[in-house]
Amino acid sequence: MDNRSEVPYGTLDLMVLKTLDTLGTLHGYGIARRIEQVAEGALELNQGTIYPALLRLEQKGWITSHWGASDNNRRARFYTITRAGRKQFAEEAENWSRTVAMMARMLEGES
Amino acid sequence: MTWLRVLLSRLAGRGRTPAELSEEMAAHRALLAAEYERRGMTAEAAHAEARRQFSGTTQALELYYEQRRIPLLDHMSQDVVYALRQLRASPGFTVAAVLTLALGIGANLAIYRVLDAVLFRELPVRDPGGLVQIQFLEGSDPQRVSYPLFRELAARQQVLDSLFAVSDVGLPAPDGGRGFMVSGAYFRTLGIPAQIGRVFTEDDDRPGAQPVAVLSDAYWTREYARSTSAIGRTLQLNGARAAIIGVAPAGFFGETPGAARDFWVPMSLQPVITPGDRINGAAYSWLSMIGRLRPGVTARQAEAALDPLFREFAHLTVTRFGRSYRVRVAPANRGIGDLDRRFERPLWLLMGMAGLVLVMLCSNLANLLLGRAAVRTHEIGVRLALGAGRGRILRQLLTESLVLCAAGVALAIPLGSRGASALAALASVGTGLHLEAGWHQAIFTVAAALACTCMFGLAPAFAATRVDVHSALQAQHRTTAGARRRHFANALVVAQISLSLVLICGAALFARSLWNLRHQDFGMSRNTLLVDIPLELTPQAIAHQGALVWPLYERMNSLPGVRSAAVSAFGPMSSLLRTVGISTPERPAQRTDVTRLVCVSPRFFETMGIPMVAGRGITAEDRAGAAPVVVLNQGAARALFGAGSAIGRSVSQKDRYAARDAMQVIGVARDVRFSSAREPFGFVLYVPIAQSPAPVTGIVLRPAGNPAQAAAAARAAVKSVDPNLKIGAIRNYAEAFEGGLGNDKLLAAIAGTFGLIALALSYIGVYGVLSYAVERRTHEIGIRIALGAGRAGIYRMVLGEASLLMAASLLVGGTGSVAATRALRSTLFGFAAADYTLPLLAAVLLGFAAFAASYLPARRASRLDPVDALRQD
Repeated sequence: MDNRSEVPYGTLDLMVLKTLDTLGTLHGYGIARRIEQVAEGALELNQGTIYPALLRLEQKGWITSHWGASDNNRRARFYTITRAGRKQFAEEAENWSRTVAMMARMLEGES
Repeated sequence: MTWLRVLLSRLAGRGRTPAELSEEMAAHRALLAAEYERRGMTAEAAHAEARRQFSGTTQALELYYEQRRIPLLDHMSQDVVYALRQLRASPGFTVAAVLTLALGIGANLAIYRVLDAVLFRELPVRDPGGLVQIQFLEGSDPQRVSYPLFRELAARQQVLDSLFAVSDVGLPAPDGGRGFMVSGAYFRTLGIPAQIGRVFTEDDDRPGAQPVAVLSDAYWTREYARSTSAIGRTLQLNGARAAIIGVAPAGFFGETPGAARDFWVPMSLQPVITPGDRINGAAYSWLSMIGRLRPGVTARQAEAALDPLFREFAHLTVTRFGRSYRVRVAPANRGIGDLDRRFERPLWLLMGMAGLVLVMLCSNLANLLLGRAAVRTHEIGVRLALGAGRGRILRQLLTESLVLCAAGVALAIPLGSRGASALAALASVGTGLHLEAGWHQAIFTVAAALACTCMFGLAPAFAATRVDVHSALQAQHRTTAGARRRHFANALVVAQISLSLVLICGAALFARSLWNLRHQDFGMSRNTLLVDIPLELTPQAIAHQGALVWPLYERMNSLPGVRSAAVSAFGPMSSLLRTVGISTPERPAQRTDVTRLVCVSPRFFETMGIPMVAGRGITAEDRAGAAPVVVLNQGAARALFGAGSAIGRSVSQKDRYAARDAMQVIGVARDVRFSSAREPFGFVLYVPIAQSPAPVTGIVLRPAGNPAQAAAAARAAVKSVDPNLKIGAIRNYAEAFEGGLGNDKLLAAIAGTFGLIALALSYIGVYGVLSYAVERRTHEIGIRIALGAGRAGIYRMVLGEASLLMAASLLVGGTGSVAATRALRSTLFGFAAADYTLPLLAAVLLGFAAFAASYLPARRASRLDPVDALRQD
């Protein structure tokens, strides 16, 4: 049985921000690969869904992008986190940790 | 704020095109496939796997579109495109609507521009809010001050950062420019730097300093073609050659709106360039003072601080009649001068009329749009049935109105600026006014446009979308909304006719008022010629012109072609007037009395054509040393002696009666208009110039034959008595009064134009609404005729509808007209308190117009062929 899970709702943005925060400038493929690596196969990521997320983040001003050349010398778009993006990431990460901790307490208590 | 960033990136073209996004995703898939190949898959399998892993490309693109959208903006641009298509489909309507809007908004813009320039604009100087005018009031009249008084004040005051004096005595330059003398702190106080060269300072305004001049931008352009070589050239001003040292910035016209200056010179030059020494002489009162308040000092505090200084140095300026004095510190952010006071009322009146015309235009347009909405019922029904929201359709219809209005405004803006210049010229508002657009005007334009759109677009749009989808789709034309729409159209026509009644009534009132002003009984002969002799208020000039009384009197009376002549001081139309107190033993002078003293030679009354109501006029017998005598005008006689006879009674030229300086009343003369066509009569004391010596300020002549020849002869005769005496205008009284009627003529002309427009609009309005009514009732009328109704009956039916409309309009408009007549009373001339003849006439005129407009639709209805009418759907 496949025990890989779908990407939980609302977490993809956070993952992208974290990836760019850690690794600096990356193209879409690089971001997707990194997320899969970190998930160690536990995540079912349709790599196409990463693009709407990138667009959304860019429109909010949390990341910026520019054209560059990829490893195989194709034109690729590279993404970089902005200062506002870092701030947003810090806030979101904090929220997420709180939520996780809260859920953990709740689930332990109930079971 | 995300939408803003989206908008900005879209505007800047920074966003990605869909093609770019596809390319980006293709690159991603290629990298993914390459990775699978590296892991050992065949190329084909790798690509398949990559596609599987990277599914949903279309969804990503769709999401992309969704995110890039700004719904409101996108709908709006859609609406604009649709509106343009709709408007192009009916070019006649579009052109008519845009032109009417352009005219209506243009007229409003033009008037607002002048209004703004005259009433609201601050001086184009640094921090105009800090500027104050320092006035020396005699009673409530501001007086000019002398240079010595200004110098002492400027040196001693502690409440102003700086203070300067200006004179409105123009200095003609040889090339026709007019320069003005200002004290050294002028440019520093106003905060005006030179655009080239430098401006002058206090250092240039010391006795013995090199004569200098600063040019205005307009003069520099006109006379020196904006050449920098103007600097260093000289202006010859009588005894001085002033070196041009700089040019003031463009747009700076001086401190007096409406009176643009060509150049400025320091005041210390005065003794070299104009007669007399005003710098050291206290006898000349010729200056106004403007200063800049120190930070934290209020106008009140400044008044309190300046008052003792004024009192201490009051002996340095001429104080003429011993009334009470005080200092006033008034804001000067809009400059000095009386432009605003003179034009405020007429401009507001014009603005009000233009506003009414615009409202009328809008209601006319609303009616037209309503007609269009009726035609489009089916289309709108279809769109509603297909699921369009009512709000969406409403917005779209409003966009159409907005597009119309925007086109109208685009045309109105150039019209408005032309109109503003024309209006300013017509009203002789003066030169150098800032008529160009400012932010005030931008706000006004946008507000007017939006108001118009709402006025003519909102109601028809609501009416158009209030359709019953079912019936709209079923019947091609008729809908249940028709009746409501018709009521609305009727209401609009009533509003139009009412407004036009008010406008026509206003036009009639202004025209009649002008006629009254021109044709009133001035109390004297219209044909008497007046030779104005200007007088400078200096002791020398007063003595000199005092000595000319008898030589001029003799010379003028011996002229052939002159039936009689007289000289006077402070007489009719003179810019100088002398006020005194007047008292009788029973009645001391009252505070409210305005009594002017006129010194006249013999033959004055017969020359002027002023009839004596009682007693006799002043003759050669009333010479110096004889018993002092006086002639009163009717107003004074009535106030002082009531119904009793004034002849033989005594009056004194003082606030309290004293037998010592009593004068005996020998005659009562008719009231006359003294300085303008609408001036109240007030009290006038005519005294013999032999008994109260005074300088000549006017000569009056009654020509025997051709007035022009008499005028020429008089001019030559004055020159033969004294070649150096200045002669002002020579004209008869009707002409002299005409000059003061500028505002009345302006109001009459523009109100007349607006009245005609209003008449035309209401004609069109009535015609439109009745035509629509007849068309809508074709079927019904057909049945009536088929059942035997006569032509006369059909006429009656349509005209009856028109009568109802008219009755309602005349009720509303009549009330408005009566209110307008009352409100205008103080501006109008020569109407009795309850004279409503003109509103009545306007109503009759409008009634005729409305019935003329309803005649055609009524005839069309009566000639309907019942068979054709019934065959219609």
